[in-house]
Amino acid sequence: MSANDEMSLSRRRFLHLVGVIGGSTAAYQAALGLGALPTVALAQPPDIAPLPKGIRKSVLILGACIAGLVSAYELTRRGYDVQVLEASERVGGRVWTVRGGDVIDEVGHRQVCNFDREPHLYFNAGASRIPGEHLALLGYWRELNVELEPFVNLNRDAWVQDDALFGGKRLRNREYVNETRSFVAELGTKSIKPEMLDEQLTAADYKAVLEYLRQFGRLDINLKAARSKRTTSAGFAGPDAMKQLFNSRILSGMAYGESEDQQPVMLVPVGGMDKIVDAFMKKIGKYVQIGARVETLNLTEKGVRVVYRRKGREQESLADFCINSIPMQLLAGIDHNFPNEYAAGLTAVPRGKYFKLAFQAKERFWEREGIYGGISWTMQDISQMWYPSNGIHKQKGVILGAYTFAGAAGDKFAALSPDQRAALAKQQGEKLHPGYSNFVEHGVSVAWHRINHMLGCAAAWNESLRAQWFDRLQSPAGHHYLVGDQMSHLPSWQEGAVQSAFHAIADIDQRVREANT
Amino acid sequence: MIRFGFLASLLMMAASAVAADDLATCILCHGTNTNGNLGVRAPKLSGLEPWYLKRQLELFRSSARGAHPKDVSGGEMRTVALALQADSLDKIAATIATFKEKPPVVTVAGDPARGAKMYATCAACHGANGRGNQALHTPALAKRSDWYLVTQLNNFRDGLRGVETSDLYGGPMRTAAMTLPNAQAIADVVAHINTLR
Repeated sequence: MSANDEMSLSRRRFLHLVGVIGGSTAAYQAALGLGALPTVALAQPPDIAPLPKGIRKSVLILGACIAGLVSAYELTRRGYDVQVLEASERVGGRVWTVRGGDVIDEVGHRQVCNFDREPHLYFNAGASRIPGEHLALLGYWRELNVELEPFVNLNRDAWVQDDALFGGKRLRNREYVNETRSFVAELGTKSIKPEMLDEQLTAADYKAVLEYLRQFGRLDINLKAARSKRTTSAGFAGPDAMKQLFNSRILSGMAYGESEDQQPVMLVPVGGMDKIVDAFMKKIGKYVQIGARVETLNLTEKGVRVVYRRKGREQESLADFCINSIPMQLLAGIDHNFPNEYAAGLTAVPRGKYFKLAFQAKERFWEREGIYGGISWTMQDISQMWYPSNGIHKQKGVILGAYTFAGAAGDKFAALSPDQRAALAKQQGEKLHPGYSNFVEHGVSVAWHRINHMLGCAAAWNESLRAQWFDRLQSPAGHHYLVGDQMSHLPSWQEGAVQSAFHAIADIDQRVREANT
Repeated sequence: MIRFGFLASLLMMAASAVAADDLATCILCHGTNTNGNLGVRAPKLSGLEPWYLKRQLELFRSSARGAHPKDVSGGEMRTVALALQADSLDKIAATIATFKEKPPVVTVAGDPARGAKMYATCAACHGANGRGNQALHTPALAKRSDWYLVTQLNNFRDGLRGVETSDLYGGPMRTAAMTLPNAQAIADVVAHINTLR
């Protein structure tokens, strides 16, 4: 056995252990740290070669979403002929800012947003926050001069509410987190005994562990949980407080806020997420046609042939390449001649059923409770309540009254009429803010899996589906490239859409270069 | 008279525009030429008998179908059916009947030989060749989305469909579906139906 083998073996052994203890996500992250897997994210667009004089290449882009717009922007800069077809009557895909007067084109439940028309009164129905690590996307925001502001994602003054915890009384996030930590820390100090020491853990280490737990849980010098002076909820002092805290499932939702793409403070464009779409459209809007619905997509020997219907008329488009962001669940129903081994992947990945509902608040009642931005969590159907980070101290604001990721919750809300959804969200919001329903009005809701030309958000990849299908679907079928956040390691993030576009245009560039040499 | 004719043609144009919107909604989920889309669990409609299609739309609109809380896809269809213009049902059904059919992909694995024996019960109403019989109010089963046949057999058995008295022909179908003992039997019968092309 060579030294190299030994090293790789121990590395594999290490990864196995990490996988067992931390789950496979931990193993994946650890593998990235060890350089065992390639990192996929590019902060810069790929360096596409300008087309040589006299050479023309056409790229048909389906979907004027972030992936489509980035592709069009980069390719036109390098001399490619580009046509962008968008099925709906608006551009941006799931980057969608809803303002007063806007139509929500949900199948069977068309809504019109009745918010007042003021610059700060809008609702980002899709993408709504960006972490600082999404460098490729942020690069475009910088390049296109999109003005940004902070987005408060985590606010310890927001509320946590679970009917199974302390009688359903709302708790400040700070109380919930700090008190839980105290209990966990105290439990830890009692569970770790000096007799557990072996050569791996010295007496000094033991002291350090206890001190760490003391700091972590803000324990007193006797290693007892000291109730914070700021804790006002009597529930924490109750005899079975620890039992109730550990049995509550509220952390399962809130833990999402601690995941890699989440940060206490994130970024948003001033005036609505669609400002990035506006910025792209200023550059390449002339290539975009809206209301163009694809009916047939054929791979041909030399490229692609697409038949689409626009204003009741069938039209044909031929191109050397196709970059396609049509959601997989819709693409599967379009007449195509993809090979079976490719087409089967389109129906293999379940569609997400995210749901959002927003209200206009007549008064910014949350600010009177000391809440400026951030998210409250509840175990009720509405799951989350988001307070606006913008428009502070103005009279009105737009509050997100429900945000759910789970399929069952999405189905439940989608089955209701928009009025019924708003009534349910008002009723449940009362547990976070008594009197809530008197303060909010003009509810609008977006059940993404029922929105025209979408029917889903976001692609629900899991590890086995990824292992089976991701590489196949990311690779081209003939001259056809599937893109969008659905074809990325960051589903539901704009950064994923950008990365998918980078992958497609880099591959096209490679093929064009090879053909020209 | 001339003015009336002009108004009437304007109204007809408006009606056909509405029907075009409604048809676009059908195609959104059921795919190009309504040849079906497993991705959003919307079955193939092309080739469906117009009288059957219209009757199902009416059942959805009256909540005799798709109102069961466990029938998620049926509930989605019910929402869409309720949003359709009442006078465009005939036109939708007639137009879909003209769409170019594409044979559905086989997705159900079962034993067609075993299924053929059980199919005798189905054949009594739907015909040995699975082409249906309007006189008996039974639609064709051949060339349908096979996964959808499985779903509906389960829905009938589980009381998600065919329990409302206003669904006159759903009731007998529920009785028939109850004779299939388990999931394997359903797969086998559908595998046999897949051979009827």
